[in-house]
Amino acid sequence: MDRFAFLLKRPVQLIPVIIGISLITFILIQMTPGDPVRIMLGPKASQDAVDFIRARYGLDQPILVQYFYFVLNALRGDFGQSIIYRSPVGRVILDRIEPTLYLILYGLALSVAFTLALATAAARSRGRWLDQVVRLVCVGSVGIPSYFVGLMLILGFCLKFKLFPVSGYSPNFFDNLYHLFLPALTIAISVTPILTRNLRATFIQQMDADYATAGRSKGLSEGYIFSRHVFWNSLLPTVNLMGVVVSFLIGGTVVIENVFNIPGMGQALIRGVLTRDYFVVQAMTLVLAFGIVITNFIVDVVTVLLDPRVKL
Amino acid sequence: MDRRSFLQTTAFAAGLATLPGLAFSARAADAKILRMGYGSDVLTLDPIKTVYGSDIMIQGLMFARLLQANADRSEVGPGLAEKWDISDDGLVYTFYLRDAKFADGSPITAEDVAFSYTRMRFQKDSAYAAPFQPLKEAKAKDAKTVVMTLDRKFTPFLTLTEIWNTGIVPKAAVEKMGDDAFAKAPVTSGPFKFVDWKPGDRVVLAKNEHYYRQGLPHLDGIEFRYVPDDNTRISMLQAGELDVNIGVPIARLAELKAAGFRADPETSSVTYELLINHSKAPFDNLKFRQAVSHGIDRKAICDTVTLGTGTPANSIFSPALNYFDKSLPVIQRDVAKAKALLAESGVSDASFELMVAAGTSDDEKTAVLIQAQLAEVGITANVAKVDPTSVWTRLIDGDYQSQINWWYNETRDPDNALRWCAWGAGDNKSYYTRYNNDEVNKLIEEGAGEVEGDKRGAIYAKIQQITVDEVAQVALYYPAWLNAYSPKVKDLILNIGLQFSEIDQTDLV
Repeated sequence: MDRFAFLLKRPVQLIPVIIGISLITFILIQMTPGDPVRIMLGPKASQDAVDFIRARYGLDQPILVQYFYFVLNALRGDFGQSIIYRSPVGRVILDRIEPTLYLILYGLALSVAFTLALATAAARSRGRWLDQVVRLVCVGSVGIPSYFVGLMLILGFCLKFKLFPVSGYSPNFFDNLYHLFLPALTIAISVTPILTRNLRATFIQQMDADYATAGRSKGLSEGYIFSRHVFWNSLLPTVNLMGVVVSFLIGGTVVIENVFNIPGMGQALIRGVLTRDYFVVQAMTLVLAFGIVITNFIVDVVTVLLDPRVKL
Repeated sequence: MDRRSFLQTTAFAAGLATLPGLAFSARAADAKILRMGYGSDVLTLDPIKTVYGSDIMIQGLMFARLLQANADRSEVGPGLAEKWDISDDGLVYTFYLRDAKFADGSPITAEDVAFSYTRMRFQKDSAYAAPFQPLKEAKAKDAKTVVMTLDRKFTPFLTLTEIWNTGIVPKAAVEKMGDDAFAKAPVTSGPFKFVDWKPGDRVVLAKNEHYYRQGLPHLDGIEFRYVPDDNTRISMLQAGELDVNIGVPIARLAELKAAGFRADPETSSVTYELLINHSKAPFDNLKFRQAVSHGIDRKAICDTVTLGTGTPANSIFSPALNYFDKSLPVIQRDVAKAKALLAESGVSDASFELMVAAGTSDDEKTAVLIQAQLAEVGITANVAKVDPTSVWTRLIDGDYQSQINWWYNETRDPDNALRWCAWGAGDNKSYYTRYNNDEVNKLIEEGAGEVEGDKRGAIYAKIQQITVDEVAQVALYYPAWLNAYSPKVKDLILNIGLQFSEIDQTDLV
């Protein structure tokens, strides 16, 4: 089981990364001009009121003192208060994490399904019209901004055919399969071409590999070679690429959340930055960083499972 | 995995993923729930902490006030107070309450009213105590009588008793829950009671069974939703997921009207202007300010930005205010005159930074127009896009030369407006312009103490004239509120004070 020894090393390697990220975020957001208390109290507030609230949140202390208290509280599981919403940051994040997670996983599920179908179809009919169509669609759709895709889907499926709602997120898992279908499809439309091109190329490369030729010379059918050998040997690069795509999505769902009005992390993070809600930005950055670390970890595990030769 | 099972799995996965397209979730009908969408988030539900548009609108749905304004806010009539009287010296106001209850069924007493006013006026983190400076104390005389004492004659006082931060809150509940908890789940006194609030998503309200106006409201509830994207809000209205879209981009108004939505411009009290910093060169120079004022084509800016839904401004006063002086002409662009004024000013470096909040397309358009118009005069306006939070910080700190901005007034009384935008003695230094004119300050105090009538009007006309002559700000145009309503919504308008007038009479048919 020494293949999985890295499982134990990873958490230890994580500690300096998290400290680095949190310190940099903390200093950057605090150095940006703009005062969250002013935003919260609004332009009509007196200076007295502003000073009173600043003191209440400890914002009148030096940055490093504030950071020290932040770390101390975070270790106890308290990420402080959102200045703008005047409620615990933990609560703000918990409310937001579920829609974003659901959206990303749903979008990925669709992307994986589409990618496997399209890449297999294209590779198996290499050079023929089906392959050309798939390649053309991939090249054509790679550059379309997701904002535009989302708007077009809304125009078509919501306003013209009235098949789906424009927005909505419900606490019910199955409801969301319906409500979040279009936003997930938007993700799939932006992710599938990238994954499909990659997987198709690997399929073709593997189909030309020596072991496939050897299989053919032994009289094995093309389908058998593909599903037994080529398919599994081709997954690795795409799994790695998917890790990159997920990391990108974790921060990049904000546009889609905006178009479909999903109350998720991306929306809240942007708002937090704009209103200088220090503690929200701080905690969200950590959560997102953590999400990316977990993603890479999963990719590592899957890589080891897929390829016994890999040692981490 | 053989080929067949692989293909089956793939097909199954793809099928499962598209399955939702075949599912339809039925929407609960029957209950009359008004769904409103707005581009700003709700931050607090406490009347005294409220400052932003979304929160101000919601206050009107949740809390009753001593007096109630009529639909166009031209006068105030009985609210929680059935009647009131004013002492001969104008310093003591006595309000007599009707029988009324909070949403939790407890009676609304004079003690609650005194508490609400004391809190709003004297609590340290009350966001908007400024207009109530003359209020010395609010006391309960008996269970149904409240006495408020002022330290000077103050004509606008009655109209102020119906603005958003004077909502009556229950003393017992606030003291028991504490401010922070109350701001998240308040016990209300108005037409609707609080049900749920998901920050960054929606506030849910339901009919208040204990509301003091018998048989009202008609609606069973309201959902106030945060939908930041303008286009998404419109799509949701078109798809029937919203009944009211608050804040429609001007360019899409006609399209919504054509599709059968009610989307007429509604009167606002907004003045859109170029704020200038009087404490810094070059705007500390009167002739330079006048050169800028005469070099700007207000009509062209108004037409371009509002597409005919606004009117060019003649002064910092909005036409929605009482005593607005119609006879004051709108300054017409005159390049020759502007050049002459510039030469007279003796300003050697005729350039300044024109700050706009990034992401506000109307402001950006306005800035580009001003830049082009002033270039012909020989004045260079360097447009700087700054993120909105930094804009506020720089305004407050006086670290700017000019900025595109707007403001609105809660009531039709000009006093409130002037203390906001031209009162150098105030907390916000004439809306951060640092304009401070002793004569204007004195006139503002006089106007506030003068009884309604011609004499009061003359004072305000004079203030308008002085602030135009001295270019306190460069007022550009008066825009309208632009909202769109589903044809199902009956009797709902947004009034000049950002309140949905008579929401208790609104109905869905």
